[in-house]
Amino acid sequence: MDERSSRRQFIDRASRVLGFVTIGGAAGVLAKRASANSVYQVDPLRCTSCDLCRTSCVLSLSAVKAVNDFARCGYCQLCPAYMDVTSQPDATGIPTGRVCPQDALKRRVVGTVDKDDPNNNYYEYTVDETRCDGCGKCVKACLPPAGNGSLRLEIRYDRCVECNECAIQLACPDRAILRVEVPGLPPRSAGQAHE
Amino acid sequence: MSRFGIPLRRVATLLFVVAALASTVVVAQYQKKPPDFGGSYSFPTPTHPEPRDTWVRALDVAMLAGGLGVAAWLILKRRTRNGVVLLSVATIAYFGFYRRGCICPIGSIQNVTASLVDPHYLMSFGVIAFFFLPLAAALLVGRVFCGGVCPLGAVQDLVLVKPVQVPERLDRALRWLPYVYLVLAVIFAGWGLHGTWFGWHVNIGRRFIICEWDPFISLFRISGSFQMLTLGGSFILLGMFVGRPYCRWLCPYGGLLAIGSRVSWRNVSITPDREVDCGLCANACPFGAIEHHRAHRGNCVGCARCYESCPFEVERRGGPSAEVQLAKVMRP
Amino acid sequence: MDPNSSEKPPLSLRERLFKTWFPPAAAIGGMAMLVAAVFRQRPAARTVVAPPGGPAPAVPAPGAQAATAPAMASPLLQVARASSARPTAGPLARQYRLERVFGEAASAAAFHLSLNGVALDSSDRLHTLGDGEIRVFAPDGSVARRWKVAETAESLAVGPDGRVYVGGSGRVDVYSPRGDRIGGFAFGDKASPAAVSAVKIYRDEILVADASARIIRRFDAAGRQLGVIGDRGATKTFMLPNGKLDLDVDAAGVVRATDTGRHQVTAWQIDGTPVGRFGKFGMSDPADFVGCCNPVNLASTRDGMVVTGEKMVARVKVFTAAGVLMAVIGPEHFDPMCTQIHLAADAKGRVYAADPVRRRIQVFAPEAGGAR
Repeated sequence: MDERSSRRQFIDRASRVLGFVTIGGAAGVLAKRASANSVYQVDPLRCTSCDLCRTSCVLSLSAVKAVNDFARCGYCQLCPAYMDVTSQPDATGIPTGRVCPQDALKRRVVGTVDKDDPNNNYYEYTVDETRCDGCGKCVKACLPPAGNGSLRLEIRYDRCVECNECAIQLACPDRAILRVEVPGLPPRSAGQAHE
Repeated sequence: MSRFGIPLRRVATLLFVVAALASTVVVAQYQKKPPDFGGSYSFPTPTHPEPRDTWVRALDVAMLAGGLGVAAWLILKRRTRNGVVLLSVATIAYFGFYRRGCICPIGSIQNVTASLVDPHYLMSFGVIAFFFLPLAAALLVGRVFCGGVCPLGAVQDLVLVKPVQVPERLDRALRWLPYVYLVLAVIFAGWGLHGTWFGWHVNIGRRFIICEWDPFISLFRISGSFQMLTLGGSFILLGMFVGRPYCRWLCPYGGLLAIGSRVSWRNVSITPDREVDCGLCANACPFGAIEHHRAHRGNCVGCARCYESCPFEVERRGGPSAEVQLAKVMRP
Repeated sequence: MDPNSSEKPPLSLRERLFKTWFPPAAAIGGMAMLVAAVFRQRPAARTVVAPPGGPAPAVPAPGAQAATAPAMASPLLQVARASSARPTAGPLARQYRLERVFGEAASAAAFHLSLNGVALDSSDRLHTLGDGEIRVFAPDGSVARRWKVAETAESLAVGPDGRVYVGGSGRVDVYSPRGDRIGGFAFGDKASPAAVSAVKIYRDEILVADASARIIRRFDAAGRQLGVIGDRGATKTFMLPNGKLDLDVDAAGVVRATDTGRHQVTAWQIDGTPVGRFGKFGMSDPADFVGCCNPVNLASTRDGMVVTGEKMVARVKVFTAAGVLMAVIGPEHFDPMCTQIHLAADAKGRVYAADPVRRRIQVFAPEAGGAR
């Protein structure tokens, strides 16, 4: 009995050591490759605004939002992402249709305002993130040659729950969701793809 | 993604470094100078909310380690179920609802596999810790992770109303499933499934099936597809009458913990010095983990129910003496 | 093992709470949360706000547009192209046909990287800026001369004496007809060099389109600024959402420039006095300019016509100086992804249009009854 239990003890001890070595070794190998942070982000150079960001996110209001790059935005009055330029124009010739189904793209006139001729004014366009659902219609409409490509889809980290396996990444047909190492600044805007 | 040898992580870091440097260059190249808007307008500073700080992720690891320590103390030293229940509630609150069930050690198997198979897969220190710590604890003190720290196990444990004793042969057969699931999860996480079998073309890329079939994730997020909600509801219903079905018969990480727990240094022991063949512990165990007055180390998840019913444990906690209790229970 | 006895000790309150009530309560709570989750729907995708009254514009029949339209063309672009194909109220006064092509992809003179500008000298020889060099084409289509220019070169012009003026990044460089650099000057702030999107010569003045300051500058040969054109006295000069300003000057000294944000072709005297402007936004009338910022290019012809180039619906139009539409050279000739079409016109009224995406120059000649 004693001999059996001491042999059993030896086996147990050896197994424990082996177990520690295995998992410790694996942890060590992985620690060499590890980084502090990695999160998911959209690559606007690959994104085709397919609308799956809206429906694939595990959250009911997707964590993907449209973001406007103000340095690139033309501040146009006839913004093709804001108004549907092919829709019926009103009496003054301004199209009445809107691109955003959720009315999330807001604009306000900035700078010196010409009250008589809206064509003479600059407009700042911002995205209301409480309404934007990441469908990407504005992003698509802003792409060159129609626009400057200043709008892009971006995963916003104040909403993203950082799933281990991003459901949008699985659904994305263009492999446009990447796991990236340093959050830092978001990737380049879509307009750069067409320069 | 790195099948063509493109170092994805380096590309991605480069993307960001380029963007960081190029943010000024972009303005310079593109619009050089902004238009003269007139008035007092200036460009708004774009907001880019940061992901969770590193210290918050470190806190998760600390909570896990702390939880393991507390669970080990409660199960092995204090030997009381009340503490385990409270710890279970706490873990459901933190790792379940607050952290929304992600990332968990069960899922970390996939990350570890993916990173071992593909050196360019991005891996974080927190995930390594989540994989390593409960396994190390299992080698030392048994499946204390399952007992008090795992939120999925805690949900099943807390909704258990009237456990049905599963026939032993069925139980033994089902206990192979976690290893099948583990092998499948490793295959999908490392390589995906590509090939043709019996005329069926299969081309599935790398996927995390443990995450996709996590039964309680929809509960912790309080949202999900209809299938996920139904899965969660089914497991809760089942868990009311069968003890810990996911933990015993599906959880791949539990399979690993079972192997480690078998050779652990210390484990659950039922009054080792004073055994009487009363069988109260075996009756109390909803998981059929007690055989021959001993907790089967691989199967025992440390729920501490056996301690509640063992007369010697009751006596140790200040109840009536064991003989008195046994006299009431055992027929002459 | 002995079976359980029939007598069980009574449970304390705490034990009852923990053992009897807590599990079912937890189960019911969990199920309730799952049910609540069912009702947390996504916000429904509302349809686009319907325009008040009037039918929506028709989507073009498949195959109506050139087969070269890219798969990624959004419905917006498709509808825009269809609308521009609608017939005008009456037949157009002129027709143009494609006469020849320079720099064809398979030829020896092909452009491999870029095509950024075209200009014609006094004997109507084609000069181009592309692939980082200036090329002078012989009438047979081969390259007679070529020389490298700075990477920052953005635009070119040819003076009446054959000198080539290359503008870009805050400076203008002057080359002899043989390609030797004979002069040049810089202007503006060196730290943020101006985008020189067009250069033109009028008598002994160099007109520079400064797209960064959104104004046209007049320089003499030594680089002294003589004045500006486009300053209406208000804060906003040219509105250029796409950052490009194109100009041309005719023999009478009338400077025409694109005001893309306002969808207008503006005309000025050389001293900056505004002469007039024409054009407006519109998606259906071919005489209008489509999209958010058009026309992007223009050229003046010897007979006083104005040639404009547009993006989004990549096409070239010919107007009278007063703005009456004379001809449309349709989008089937140009790549739909063009963001510019560089233009020049020769003495016979032929229009040279450079497609920077397909990197070739097409020459369109007016048909019988056209200009001198």
